[in-house]
Amino acid sequence: MTDPRLGVRVFTREDIRKRVSEVARQIERDYTEKRPVIVAILRGAVYFAVDLTRALSIPFDLDFMALSPFRPGLRRAEIEKDVDTDLQGRHVLILEDIVDTGLTLNFLVRNLERRLPKSVRVCTFLNCPARRIVDVEVHYFCFEIPDIYVVGYGLDFRGDFRNLEEVYSLYDPSGRSTQLLKEMGKGR
Amino acid sequence: MGNFSVITISREIESLGDEVASRLAKVLGYELIDRSRWMELLREFSLPSEPPEEDREREKWIESVGNLLAQLAEKRAFVLLGRGGQRLLAQCPRAFHLLVVAPVPLRVHRIMKRYRQDEVTASRILAEQDRHRERFLLRYFGVDWRNPLHYHFVLNTAFYDVEESCQLVLEAMRRTRVPSVGHQESFFPESVAFSHPSEEEFAKILDFYGIRWLYEPRVFPLEWDSEGNVIEAFTPDFYLPDFDLFVEITTQKQKLTWRKNRKIRKLKELYPEVKVKVIYARDYAHILRKFNLERNHD
Repeated sequence: MTDPRLGVRVFTREDIRKRVSEVARQIERDYTEKRPVIVAILRGAVYFAVDLTRALSIPFDLDFMALSPFRPGLRRAEIEKDVDTDLQGRHVLILEDIVDTGLTLNFLVRNLERRLPKSVRVCTFLNCPARRIVDVEVHYFCFEIPDIYVVGYGLDFRGDFRNLEEVYSLYDPSGRSTQLLKEMGKGR
Repeated sequence: MGNFSVITISREIESLGDEVASRLAKVLGYELIDRSRWMELLREFSLPSEPPEEDREREKWIESVGNLLAQLAEKRAFVLLGRGGQRLLAQCPRAFHLLVVAPVPLRVHRIMKRYRQDEVTASRILAEQDRHRERFLLRYFGVDWRNPLHYHFVLNTAFYDVEESCQLVLEAMRRTRVPSVGHQESFFPESVAFSHPSEEEFAKILDFYGIRWLYEPRVFPLEWDSEGNVIEAFTPDFYLPDFDLFVEITTQKQKLTWRKNRKIRKLKELYPEVKVKVIYARDYAHILRKFNLERNHD
């Protein structure tokens, strides 16, 4: 990758494939004979949802949900695309690309819990507890990252880089991201 | 009718809200402002009849129409059907806010009867119209309009016909008094004087995600003189009751935050049970980037 906006490669295709497969095994164990409704949150979680669901060997229903992005004039978040599945009495597993501040996820969980599912759990590709503002429970995650901005595998920067197959940090001229990545054993 | 010269009626589709509005207007001798009268009225005052799409224009429109209605409420009595009246007159003490609802199967049945449709079509029409109304009020007025706390009275017409419904509303209006603590939950809290624009922005983000907050609700004394007077204290910017969490935002550069950090350390020592989250400049920059607010800070 030669785009000057990109920094260090954080997770390779192989890292991702391995962890997605491990998380799929965990989910299989927990949802045996439960036929969960997997709710992938558009748009970031699409890539993760495809790989994770293909790695699952248990039956499940797949659905999608999209939330309006924050913009100053819009006073409240809106569900732009709702699930088509009736969630009452079902086990719901939310798939996210990243959980950081917890604000979006908290909104989603509250919204889904109102539909009387048997359970609501959260699976995210990346978990970034360093940026958490409100507490949310994350049940499954592939990788935990420090407070850095990453792109690829569904994660974008101003609409770009979603389709990268690997995860990169965004170039940080302060050098802070590089330092944090070094601490986690990544980087050049 | 008591202190109320205005009734705003919010209603679910096919909840009999329109019929209750007409009947109340007739019984009380109030003017009925329905959609066509609304359009005439706003035309008279050279205002667009629908809220503008553009955010700032819409804010102005809401303020102008709210003022217009509040002035009208001083001069004449009216029943305002829909149009976001509950939001536009949220602060008007002369307005009684009524929500009329009915269960889905009953509303489906009413649509089937009124429009001679089968159950499937009627259900689809109802779902579409409910969604449309919900979106309209959420998008243009930021209102979760089904929240019963926005109203003086919520009426379920599954149990009453139009006449009985009107009797109940009239009785409720007669008996309504100003609560001793707090008014009905307003669509918008009293305006808060934030000491920094970042706090106002953060409050908007919390509102967006429906997270309740209080601004600087508590002062934590940190140090006292020999006579017991507080000589140092700390007031976190926000309290989020749902998370029992205080939030402090600081947009100073990290190296300038030592004074605040010292206070927070003291706070944690003296009040170990208190949960505090500090959002530093770097975290705040991330929030701006995440919520596409960067351009406001160029």
